[in-house]
Amino acid sequence: MAEIDSPLGSNYIAGEHGNVAAGIGVSLAERRNLSIIQVTAWPNTIPTVLTAIGSATGLIIDNKPGLGRVAGEKSVFGFAPGRFLVTAASADLETRLRSAISADLGTIVPLTHGRCVIRIAGPASEWVLSKLFALDFSEHAFAVGHGRATLHHDIHALIQRVDQDAFDLYIFRTFARSFWTILGHAAEEVGYRVG
Amino acid sequence: MTSSRLNTGGRIERSRTIRFIFDGKAYTGHPGDTLASALLANGVTLFGRSFKYHRPRGVFAAGSEEPNALVTLIDGEVREPNVRATEAEIHDGLVAESQNRFPSLEHDLMAVNQLAGPLFSAGFYYKTFMGPAIGPLRGTRFWMFCEKFIRRAAGLGRAGMAADPDRYERMNAYCDVLVVGTGPAGLIAAETAAATGARVIIAEERPVAGGSLVSSGELIDGRNPAVWAREKAELLAGLPNVRFLTRTTVWGHYDGNVLAAIEHVADFKPNRTEGQPRQRHWVIRTGKTILATGAFERPIVFPGNDRPGVMLADAVRRFAMEYGVAAGSNIALFTNNDSAYDVARTLSQAGVGIGTIIDVRTDISGTCRDIADVAGAELLLGHAVTATHAGKTLSSITVQHFNAQTGRVSGAPREIKTDCLGVSGGWSPAIHLASQAGGKPEWDEDLQAFLAPEAHQNWVVAGSAAGYMDTISVLSDAATKGSAKHRAALPTVDAPMFDASPAPVYQIEPDGKTQKAFVDLQHDVTADDIRLAYREGFHSVEHLKRYTTLGMATDQGKTSNVPGLAIMADARQIPITAAGTTRFRPPFTPVSLGALAGERYGDLRPHRLTPIHDWHLSAGATMYDAGLWHRPMIYGSPGETIEQAYIREARTVRDSVGIVDVSTLGKIDIQGPDAAEFLDRVYTNMFSTLPIGKARYGLMLREDGIVFDDGTTWRLGQDQFLMTTTTANAGPVMQHLEYYLDCIWPDLRVHLTSVTDVWAGAAIAGPKSRAVLESCVTASKVDDATLPFMGIVHARIGDIPVMICRLSFSGELAYEVYCGAGFGTAMWEALISAGTPFGIVPYGLEALGTLRIEKGHVTGAEIDGRTTAHDLHLDWMLSKKKPFIGSAMLGREGLQDNNRLSLVGLISLDNQPINGGSHIVADATPREPADSFGHVTAACYSPALGKYVALALVKHGSSMIGRRAYASDLLRDKHGPVEIVSHHMFDREGSRMHG
Repeated sequence: MAEIDSPLGSNYIAGEHGNVAAGIGVSLAERRNLSIIQVTAWPNTIPTVLTAIGSATGLIIDNKPGLGRVAGEKSVFGFAPGRFLVTAASADLETRLRSAISADLGTIVPLTHGRCVIRIAGPASEWVLSKLFALDFSEHAFAVGHGRATLHHDIHALIQRVDQDAFDLYIFRTFARSFWTILGHAAEEVGYRVG
Repeated sequence: MTSSRLNTGGRIERSRTIRFIFDGKAYTGHPGDTLASALLANGVTLFGRSFKYHRPRGVFAAGSEEPNALVTLIDGEVREPNVRATEAEIHDGLVAESQNRFPSLEHDLMAVNQLAGPLFSAGFYYKTFMGPAIGPLRGTRFWMFCEKFIRRAAGLGRAGMAADPDRYERMNAYCDVLVVGTGPAGLIAAETAAATGARVIIAEERPVAGGSLVSSGELIDGRNPAVWAREKAELLAGLPNVRFLTRTTVWGHYDGNVLAAIEHVADFKPNRTEGQPRQRHWVIRTGKTILATGAFERPIVFPGNDRPGVMLADAVRRFAMEYGVAAGSNIALFTNNDSAYDVARTLSQAGVGIGTIIDVRTDISGTCRDIADVAGAELLLGHAVTATHAGKTLSSITVQHFNAQTGRVSGAPREIKTDCLGVSGGWSPAIHLASQAGGKPEWDEDLQAFLAPEAHQNWVVAGSAAGYMDTISVLSDAATKGSAKHRAALPTVDAPMFDASPAPVYQIEPDGKTQKAFVDLQHDVTADDIRLAYREGFHSVEHLKRYTTLGMATDQGKTSNVPGLAIMADARQIPITAAGTTRFRPPFTPVSLGALAGERYGDLRPHRLTPIHDWHLSAGATMYDAGLWHRPMIYGSPGETIEQAYIREARTVRDSVGIVDVSTLGKIDIQGPDAAEFLDRVYTNMFSTLPIGKARYGLMLREDGIVFDDGTTWRLGQDQFLMTTTTANAGPVMQHLEYYLDCIWPDLRVHLTSVTDVWAGAAIAGPKSRAVLESCVTASKVDDATLPFMGIVHARIGDIPVMICRLSFSGELAYEVYCGAGFGTAMWEALISAGTPFGIVPYGLEALGTLRIEKGHVTGAEIDGRTTAHDLHLDWMLSKKKPFIGSAMLGREGLQDNNRLSLVGLISLDNQPINGGSHIVADATPREPADSFGHVTAACYSPALGKYVALALVKHGSSMIGRRAYASDLLRDKHGPVEIVSHHMFDREGSRMHG
């Protein structure tokens, strides 16, 4: 099987960039080899779908806006009513979800090829992201595991907090290189490491 | 005026010296100096020339309210005009120049305007440039002739033409409490709020916290108030729940407790660290706002009040206490209230002598008398300044007896030598942000000032901004407003007690001819201008503002509004409260366009790349911005023109085979048991009858019956479809569909997902296209039986899973091949490799356009928001078996009118290109196209026809076929004969596509 190309291309330059004299504020990395599946429940099947996602992934979440959970390479979070993004490093994620979720319960759309996942981590991650997104990134408003759907200019992004100072950004693939450039620009002030 | 540096005092760092240049001359200052304080310390008193009259002007204030001392900062080729010298912090290498003068500040030829003063009174433009109805100067012609001279003669600074190399950033912030200002009120309010555990943001426009405390002569907790403020600020800044922003001006207050602020991150630094923005634009969303914005001292209007050396009394104090600068060697104060005595007390303590205090009042407190006595100042009660005398700087003033009750000046004039006159006309709470938030400011008779309107959001005004004018009351008020739950321990304050009420004296009007008395210093609006406006009927404050431009300069009338309104109220013989005030608008102080634009420029402007983008670049494609997309326009060979390239590419497609990147087409996954029903409703034609594994061309209308979009939709399963849209309409179509599902038909069980980014697409077109696929596709045949027109197969190219649909936009035998976007380049390269033996060429948008024009296929140029299916000859797609969006409106008279424009083809008869956008006219003579009966939507050279051709929308289109007309594009000097033909200009029967 051919390998999925990174949409970041030659713009992904490993190393340290920006104002690193005072340390590295954030590290940026592209998460590769993930299966990314969107699951959408019908209005009356949301709890059942969440249970099914739990059985397929081991990640159980409540039906509340923006809730999510992270365990290693696996994650799930809700980003719209009845709509969830499920991610795992295993190639059979779609198969397991299709086994657990029939058409009566909801629909499944593989988005693996359509999203670029960028992880930003480090003490300045909230600061850098706040330059781009009108979201409250403080931990009491945006807890670990939770997800948000938002925009930077014309670029749609799903964001999940995966640790106290780490976030995964799910960017539409065709915008990914543009967004990567913007993100690097925003991170120059605090110094950043790629890779 | 002989200003100088004091031996002690101020928060400047005297051990270090900074060198800077003003008007080409080198000066020195210290860290902590503003440009104004440093120049004053060097004895410079002339800072600029006034707006209209080119009068010499000096520093008037010491902060953001400064109307006079505007300068241009120069950094290489970059010029930043209209910077307040009172806020510009100096640094090594700073270069500044004065404004609105020629050839120099000292010798400004345009000062001749002063002689023509009466000519330039209020309404000058309206009266002078309203031309007659007839004649050579009719209408606005005279104005248009004069404008460039006037613009040069009057105005502020001049912006440069060089691109701004600085970077600007945005920042989004959230907090429970935002405190604006860090005077005593702001600090105590912030401390109180922070003690409750709330997330607090504190914004201070100056480099240091403290506000009025920095220059105060009071004692707080028995200590220097500036030190007390600094320590309090450091304590707050160290709290984990507090973000303390200095050099940050909150300039806008909007609905939903959203406030905008500009942080001057590096304006004041000669060298910036990598990635550091010059300015950062904050958007702060807060639960509660505490506006502790202080108050502005306002002047008294009197003849000659604009001379360099005349300044606000508190500014004299600030220069002494904050920067260690004596604004003059022989200072006089002119006041209608007690605060000038506090200035005298503080200056006296700092070793700055006060020669005279002129007070319009006859009865003042013992405290004030004692201060004057201690300061050694001559006290002239019941007097007013009636004239000033100066060359380019103040040398003396004239005082006379003044009756504050009648406003009458009397008695013999007396001249007093002074080089600096500090004026205090009372204080106006800085209610700008409160006013922006809505409501009508309320007049306070005691303070003779407007107070904040009633709050309709969760904000409060605290301290002197709320009308509390002594430090004890300020602290107490702020502590209450910081939090209802927690009360901070208030410090002790050692300060004399003053009466905050000024005498209601705004203007001194001696009898007879006097010097000009300025109200708005920045726009050169005089008291006479306001009275003239009254006489000419402009009574409303809104009319007054616009007729005279009072308060419309970059300082937004911070020092001029109340005196101006008072003079108008006096003219109208009504109370000020009845005259009212205008509402303050953002920004509080000017905001750079760079800060507003943020990062949305150049490489940082969002753009979209297809999965095959890098291949296109490596193949030498000339890229084209199509909306946010970067798409190949042509793949030019060396020496080829664009036309030659697209002709070669299009010809190859017709003769052999070509490949084009169609990844940009909008793609929407539509799933659910009601998906087919949903499509039947949104498309004009039927989709529920479409078999699995087949695609169909669909047409969408808007609700009003106008064509919205077109594209093919593929049935991938019983309940799953893949809709494709035009590239430009991908977003709008998605919104359209979501709206109908969410709001109109929520009962339908259908899910929509944009999958544009999931799929890479290549269209392979031409008589050899099937052969190319047969040589590289596995897991499915692609012959006519297996893959008929509009058929779909799932197959592989190498180890890449692909979906192939046989459809054509070019009119040739053609296929669209889709794979996961991450495999896009690999699939594309495999197709190129397979096509090489057949002479395959990649083709770009120009060839794509050429092929579709030849075939008469429509795109956004024809689906322009005005055309119907009938106009585009697509009425065969309108189902009569079912309703659909737009069907109810199709029968409208206007949409059935025979005079509507409809689609035709054009062939150039002079073998010259036809310009897109040309009008279609009957007249062989080029002239204004009054008889236009259509327009060209798209044009190209057709290699298939060997002619220049075009598509056009023409009145009575079908009946015009065979006629001659002219394509007229007078803007580009083009007017050529054309023949109107069918829009199907090539292979009308479609035999090539179905072959």
